[in-house]
Amino acid sequence: MSVADSLPATGLPIGVPAALAPRRFGTRFFRSELWLIFGRRRNWAGGLVLASVPIILAIAVKVSEPQPGDGPDFISQITGNGLFVALAALVLELPLFLPLAVGAIAGDAVAGEANLGTLRYLLAVPVHRTRLLLVKFGAITVFAFTAVALVAVVGSVIGLVLFGGGPLTTLSGSQLPFAEGLWRLLLVCLYMTACLAALGAIGMFVSTLTEQPIGATIAIVMLAIVSQILDSIPQLSAIHEYLPTHYWLAFGDLLRDPIATGQIGNGLGLAWTYTVVFLAAAWARFASRDVSS
Amino acid sequence: MSVLASRPSLRWAVPLGVAVAVFGVAAGATALRASAEPSLPSRSAAQLLVDVQTAKLDALSGTVVQRADLGLPAIPGRIGGSGSASLTSLISGSHTLRVWYAGPEKVRLALLGTLGESDIIRNGPDLWIWSSGEKKAQHKTLPPGAATHDPSDVTGLLPTTPQEAADKILAALDPSTVVSTAGTAKVANRAVYELVLAPRDATSLVSQVRLAIDGTEHVPLRVQVYAKGSTSPAFEIGFQQVSFDRPGDENFQFTPPPGTTVDEDKPDGSAKSGPPARPGDAPEPGDAPKSDGGMKFSVDRPDMAKPDASGIAPQSTVVGSAWTMVFVARVPQDARSGNGNPLGAFLTTLPHVSGSWGSGQILRSKLFTALLTDDGRLLVGAVTADRLFQVAADPAAALK
Repeated sequence: MSVADSLPATGLPIGVPAALAPRRFGTRFFRSELWLIFGRRRNWAGGLVLASVPIILAIAVKVSEPQPGDGPDFISQITGNGLFVALAALVLELPLFLPLAVGAIAGDAVAGEANLGTLRYLLAVPVHRTRLLLVKFGAITVFAFTAVALVAVVGSVIGLVLFGGGPLTTLSGSQLPFAEGLWRLLLVCLYMTACLAALGAIGMFVSTLTEQPIGATIAIVMLAIVSQILDSIPQLSAIHEYLPTHYWLAFGDLLRDPIATGQIGNGLGLAWTYTVVFLAAAWARFASRDVSS
Repeated sequence: MSVLASRPSLRWAVPLGVAVAVFGVAAGATALRASAEPSLPSRSAAQLLVDVQTAKLDALSGTVVQRADLGLPAIPGRIGGSGSASLTSLISGSHTLRVWYAGPEKVRLALLGTLGESDIIRNGPDLWIWSSGEKKAQHKTLPPGAATHDPSDVTGLLPTTPQEAADKILAALDPSTVVSTAGTAKVANRAVYELVLAPRDATSLVSQVRLAIDGTEHVPLRVQVYAKGSTSPAFEIGFQQVSFDRPGDENFQFTPPPGTTVDEDKPDGSAKSGPPARPGDAPEPGDAPKSDGGMKFSVDRPDMAKPDASGIAPQSTVVGSAWTMVFVARVPQDARSGNGNPLGAFLTTLPHVSGSWGSGQILRSKLFTALLTDDGRLLVGAVTADRLFQVAADPAAALK
């Protein structure tokens, strides 16, 4: 914590342009953003929903053991290793629940402040608009990782309790030591975070277009779903590799032996491209916008 | 900043510029790779053929992408499809395979599905077929001496490697084919020669087959099959990434994980050796119906003509040779009935045709035509419909 960081922003004389204000690279704004996200009761409720899926899944599998080949992917592997509860739950939540969670936060990022009328106070602090966007995006990314990790941790814990740990069977049929299995699960979480952060960047751009956070959230979730629908239409195969959700399920390549990097690399590249383009678009829109609320 | 402040709309140039730059660099790199003619000493078609046949492949590993755009009509429930990890799904869509090869004794092929994988692993006398979706492994102990066999015998369950697909096409080479070269190109970032094979027979649906042969290793890296009147390949299999370094032994180890159903096949080879063709092995639940009935697609698989390979034909024969070979088989009646059989339901949607040869139903695609006659014969070939009608009238194909 630097001295400059602890300077009260209101101590500046009125009329001093933002550019003359002391440069602050402290973490206070970022921490306050995180507090805004993680301190809200509605986000806690959303987290509970996310965490309930692996619990329900694990109990259902414990009660009635699935046959190989039955049901969604990874379900039949759960009885062999509890870590698959986390993976199966992530597969189930990836199409809708996780995009919904990230969409709610990203849609709220700018439009929520505008809706509550706090955006102008925030900008008057003063916070540079570019910095505001970057901090907001950083908070969205942290939230995306937290949401994914929440599902993974809850799934792993209940899976290990109900089904035990031990070596993890890869998709290639080989067995990995438990620690290596945990490492692969972490890689899966990080990959999903990158994919969801790209969606968050698109969401933050949408959020700068409106003052209605719910509208922005709906737009982001619709985008994620439309992208998945388009991805399933074979006649549109020419555009598939540019759809934001196209490589989401490529995380399965992290569970092979050895890891297949091709699709993962493409997925990260696409996510990075969407992130940069839409952060720049959000900056173009937000930095020139009249903020009246 | 002052320009941006006075003209806010200029800011939009930044995201646009980033988007154009990223996609432009990606597209430009592809175009550059495609247009850059690598400098290789020129070689004639005959030299290339010899190169391919004498190429000695010690070790290889890489990623193979296979694409099929056969122009099939929509099949209810889809046969195959992208992302499926079932070994029988290779006939449509796009698929990715990983290949490891360290001599004929050590071969591994992995077909990557979206969240599944099928592997064929040969390590010494052990041959394993693993399917992650079903958690099933098939084990076969090969008789000693099998090592001297051509490696394609082991991997011959599928036309999976470019080497093998090229071998099959080269085997079909005879006076029926125009062989020429088409300069050089790049495949998997390696300089290749292109060899073009074109059938002379006008009834063939194939316009040409292009083989990309590695400039230094002389191994085929890509095979493309073009249909008549089409500028993009109807079938393509090629390396996306390849390395000629010897892959590590750990890639060929396989021990069935706990909870796996293991099928043991007897070493005498009497047990069935095909990959499990069972509905429901694909990751997508709706992806199941496989052509267990008479509808075998033999376009790229001449070995399917063997009656024991298809396992369904009490009587079958082959009419014609090379490019215009037509496979004729008798179809069991139950495979054609529509009750509860997705294949039967599919057959009812096919157009009826009739002529002096009789009547039946026809399936047309870019690369092959199939005719199911009302007297219970199935004719399949990479030929035009008219040629199939001729064959149907041919007494050699009467199967009586």
